[in-house]
Amino acid sequence: MIDFARVQKELVECSKDAEGSGIKVSPKTDNLVLLIGTIPGPLGTPYEGGVFHIDITLPDGYPFEPPKMQFATKVWHPNISSQSGAICLDILKDQWSPALTLKTALLSVQALLSAPQPDDPQDAVVAQQYLKDYQTFVSTARYWTESFAKASSCGIEDKVQKLVEMGFPEAQVRSILEAVGGDENLALERLL
Amino acid sequence: MDDYATSDDDYHYSDQDDSVDGFDNDDQDIPLLSSKAPSTQVITKESLLAAQKEDLRRVMDMLSVREQHARTLLIYHRWDVEKLFQVYVDKGKAYLFAEAGVSVDESRESGSSVRSSVLCEICIEDVPSDEATKMDCGHCFCNGCWTEHFIVKINEGQSKRIRCMAHKCNSICDEAVVRTLLSRQHPDMAEKYERFLLESYIEDNKRVKWCPSTPHCGNAIRVEDDELCEVECSCGLQFCFSCLSEAHSPCSCLMWELWAKKCKDESETVNWITVHTKPCPKCHKPVEKNGGCNLVSCICGQAFCWLCGGATGREHTWSSIAGHSCGRYKEQEKTAERAKRDLYRYMHYHNRYKAHTDSFKLESKLKETIQGKIAISEEKDSTVRDYSWVNNGLSRLFRSRRVLSYSYAFAFYMFGDELFKDEMSEAQREIKQNLFEDQQQQLEANVEKLSKILEEPFETFSDDKVMEIRMQIINLSTIIDKLCHKMYECIENDLLGSLHLGIHSIAPYKSKGIERASELSVCWNNKVNNTGVTAELDRPSGSGSSEDNSGCSSRKRARKEGLGGGGGGSDGGFFDLNLPAEFVDRN
Ligand SMILES: [Zn+2]
Ligand SMILES: [Zn+2]
Ligand SMILES: [Zn+2]
Ligand SMILES: [Zn+2]
Ligand SMILES: [Zn+2]
Ligand SMILES: [Zn+2]
Ligand SMILES: [Zn+2]
Repeated sequence: MIDFARVQKELVECSKDAEGSGIKVSPKTDNLVLLIGTIPGPLGTPYEGGVFHIDITLPDGYPFEPPKMQFATKVWHPNISSQSGAICLDILKDQWSPALTLKTALLSVQALLSAPQPDDPQDAVVAQQYLKDYQTFVSTARYWTESFAKASSCGIEDKVQKLVEMGFPEAQVRSILEAVGGDENLALERLL
Repeated sequence: MDDYATSDDDYHYSDQDDSVDGFDNDDQDIPLLSSKAPSTQVITKESLLAAQKEDLRRVMDMLSVREQHARTLLIYHRWDVEKLFQVYVDKGKAYLFAEAGVSVDESRESGSSVRSSVLCEICIEDVPSDEATKMDCGHCFCNGCWTEHFIVKINEGQSKRIRCMAHKCNSICDEAVVRTLLSRQHPDMAEKYERFLLESYIEDNKRVKWCPSTPHCGNAIRVEDDELCEVECSCGLQFCFSCLSEAHSPCSCLMWELWAKKCKDESETVNWITVHTKPCPKCHKPVEKNGGCNLVSCICGQAFCWLCGGATGREHTWSSIAGHSCGRYKEQEKTAERAKRDLYRYMHYHNRYKAHTDSFKLESKLKETIQGKIAISEEKDSTVRDYSWVNNGLSRLFRSRRVLSYSYAFAFYMFGDELFKDEMSEAQREIKQNLFEDQQQQLEANVEKLSKILEEPFETFSDDKVMEIRMQIINLSTIIDKLCHKMYECIENDLLGSLHLGIHSIAPYKSKGIERASELSVCWNNKVNNTGVTAELDRPSGSGSSEDNSGCSSRKRARKEGLGGGGGGSDGGFFDLNLPAEFVDRN
């Protein structure tokens, strides 16, 4: 059985300093089995400025078995599946310890965003790109952050729309926007 | 099965005969092969604990640690005591312990009794300190959380190395704590844990393997060195210790695997049909090709070209069919010929392999007949009293039949293209093949002779004639033994030994046949030396005299009583890991 008393305490503990860390955990349903975690993209990375949501499922044996975590927000990262959002992280597998919490696990996920480990990839395509063409990796990751992790700000579709209206072909607009990581001005420079 | 090999019979032959054509009767080299003490042992459910005590005690004494720590270290090093000691010598105790997750904390008892309650960081509850447990590594959590943790780990199959709950703590949980906490509410889990720990000695040990019998006899076999060898379990199953399939020398494990698969594979039959028949273009029945001409005709009356399968007229010469030119002759002919040649080659070896396997089965029945004949002979008023030579001859026949049949599977791969195509030139191969086949033929001829003589109705013979047949059987047995020995040597040195690919090796030839693993019985009251370094394991010695054996079995009985009485209290005395190793000595 899941130790719900502990989960409850964890949620209280986590909300206490949500301001400082930016990490949040909240129940998805009222049975505390499905939760949703939120982490801000780390500064100085292509994920900066993005807000990433992570689906959390607690197994029966929690906290003696690791929580299942998966990105709900699409993200371009060697250790995270660009398709499913599955995360390749040791503490979510055999290095899990019952002394860890949902918050510490999310902090580890956040740390993973800052320090990818392309030698132990979850997404082979991304890992290849990271190793062979780092610049393209960075701009793709930034583009994905812009497109999927920034719901509030001006979305990528709007930018595409704008540039297309300026008279550039849509396919070209999209590929250049992706290449420059979603930066509208840079894209415009290139198009001109 | 009877033990044919209890006496030294095979080596006394030369005392009785003086001339065996062309063979050196000096048997000095043969005892070398089998004079070694039996090096394999059967480990039963009952002796499993005893089997590991020796290793445990060595580690406990060497490092002055408790039994559970010795076990943790041994499990980590897969029960390789030498390797463990090597790490100790090379890198020191601290490294050895840290690597395996052993923490030894002397201050454990005195420490935390001051505070009345502790905060368990797992359930985030304050618990009375007597309901919390501190492990050797110093991490303290409540008993409820520890118990949950143990159960999850055991169910995950990780009983043998349950790590501490603290993050990044590599320490292995004290088995006494695991046992105590589990048995309070989950005796079934405690039992499971116990069994996994015990069986680690088999599961995680390259020197010990489960007997592959089905249904499983419950035994495991331990060998002295992890060398390639063939063993017989006390349940009667003979197997290759290395690949766990039937004993297959002089085939290497890989060759045997390929051969067994090939024999099972029906694709060979399918292959035969595709090589030898083609469907008629009119009625689609398979038509077999007879003779060399490439125009075949079906019983329906249709003629067609064998090469392309197309319908043709009947007008043709040896090399062409009127109005038909398909030009596929060359390549088609080549692949077809090749497939056919491969198939014939396989059939050649397989037929001989099978013939010897079949003979072996038939001869197994001969054993009963011969016991009957011996019984009749012993009733007779005769000067011949001893008939052990008949049985000895019979077991020689069985052993050499095996060798012969597997030697064909060996030859199939040794001289075929599948494994060693680039290993030797055509000419080299031919020389080697001739050398080998010469030996094989000699062996074969002598084995057939022996087989024939053993079928003679010696129970009706006169004493003189019995003595004569006795001489023949003894002589043939000696010759056959030497030929087998020579063949193994040739395979090891001249054939496999010269290959660049070092992956093929074979179990050594044993004159006395596949070694029967001896029952492991620890003689408890035997040799308690002061250092207590070794638990003397009783191995029947190679000379295998009968007193030795009976002596041992009686000691074995004594052990059971001793342990059963002493270990009382727990239902399975033999499985009680709580039993300290020292107990064994005292008893
Ligand atoms: Zn607790
Ligand atoms: Zn610890
Ligand atoms: Zn067996
Ligand atoms: Zn084998
Ligand atoms: Zn036909
Ligand atoms: Zn013809
Ligand atoms: Zn044709």
